[in-house]
Amino acid sequence: MKKTRIWIVITALLLAVSGGMTFVLFNQRAAGSIANVYVDGQCVYSVDLSLVTAPFTKEIAFDEGRGSTVSVESGRICISAAACPDQVCVRTGWISDSAAPIVCLPHRLLVRIEENAAGGDQGFNSVVR
Amino acid sequence: MRMERTGICMRYIAAACCAFALFLSAGCAADSGEISSSSENQAKTKCTRTVYAMDTVMDLTVYGDEEILDEAETLIGDLEAKLSVTDSGSEIYKLNHEKEAAVSNDTAELILRALELCERTDGALNISIYPIVAEWGFTTGNFHVPDETVIAGLLKNTDYSAIRVERTENGSDVISVVSVGADMSVDLGSVAKGYTGDRISARLREKGVASALLNLGGNVQAVGEKPDGSAWRIAIADPQSSGTYLGSVEIIDKAVITSGGYQRYFEENGVQYHHIIDPSTGYPAAGGLISVTIVGDSGLEGNFSALNGAKTQVIQK
Repeated sequence: MKKTRIWIVITALLLAVSGGMTFVLFNQRAAGSIANVYVDGQCVYSVDLSLVTAPFTKEIAFDEGRGSTVSVESGRICISAAACPDQVCVRTGWISDSAAPIVCLPHRLLVRIEENAAGGDQGFNSVVR
Repeated sequence: MRMERTGICMRYIAAACCAFALFLSAGCAADSGEISSSSENQAKTKCTRTVYAMDTVMDLTVYGDEEILDEAETLIGDLEAKLSVTDSGSEIYKLNHEKEAAVSNDTAELILRALELCERTDGALNISIYPIVAEWGFTTGNFHVPDETVIAGLLKNTDYSAIRVERTENGSDVISVVSVGADMSVDLGSVAKGYTGDRISARLREKGVASALLNLGGNVQAVGEKPDGSAWRIAIADPQSSGTYLGSVEIIDKAVITSGGYQRYFEENGVQYHHIIDPSTGYPAAGGLISVTIVGDSGLEGNFSALNGAKTQVIQK
């Protein structure tokens, strides 16, 4: 009986640890829709798209008075206005996954939804456009 | 007796719980090992890097180690330094300004392969139309519709057969000298990314990398399959609905290349002019295709084919 009790304690401990790990990992996945805005490789703005309830815009200002406007909605993000001559970043439109970033080459601005635990294997690995 | 039975029962329950707990924790460990770095299984360590080069952004994903990415980045830098049309230190810049230049094996080989493809497509793609693309403003951002006479004048200097590559053997070295006509300029922008992708893929395979995905500004090249043994899933952007996908392709050891005029264009007097210039007219291609995607073994050939398809439908299938 004593042995059984020890086993029960060990089992309970293992279950608790496993349960905890599962909880932590699943929570990470749920919050895995972080979008980052980079200028020249430096992250200048970060937003969790899963927590966005009402659409909003954010001005990304950089030196020499240049700037771009980022629009954010629940689960997706885009560059809605930019002062660059080619407007390729604006024409790229919304992104809602980590498969490929939005790129503004003239401003070296990049908007990327970071890959989360689930995204890499279940979603698209890349995009051609 | 009763006590004993309860004991056995509890033991069974305990063993089952144990097995379940172990299963859970093992499952979690395997999962997290695959998505983040796992030092005991180096082959599966996912390394990523973003490189600004060749007028685009390159996303490199390699299941291997950081050193391999360093090497890939160095290779990209080396090729760009040789092939850039705007960098005053490049071999192509020298060729365009002096009309003759001794070049590296890389540059000579790429020009030869590009010329071969120019022939095969009957000039539907032409590596000597840079002055026309520049005149439209696509290289400078100074977009405008050029005067007809200007285009007609520039078209006269786009005979790619006037590009000559002389290769002479000097002991174990091969010396390559390229020459162009008096008013000609060469731009390898249409093939450089594909060639770079092929070169990096070859290097990664040499290094024993079994899984890698390279996105060189829309040119996607896969080395092997995903670490879990499945194919890479590559989405194709919908040209008529921004931010959505037209569909996807699944690839192993292949290149997927898309070209279209729906993102790089400008408007003048209500007319859209896109960046894919038809070498036979000097004007944006009017082939009727919005976007062309090619799947093939080689990034270089795919690069060419996609551009060609978008241009004149010559090799559209």
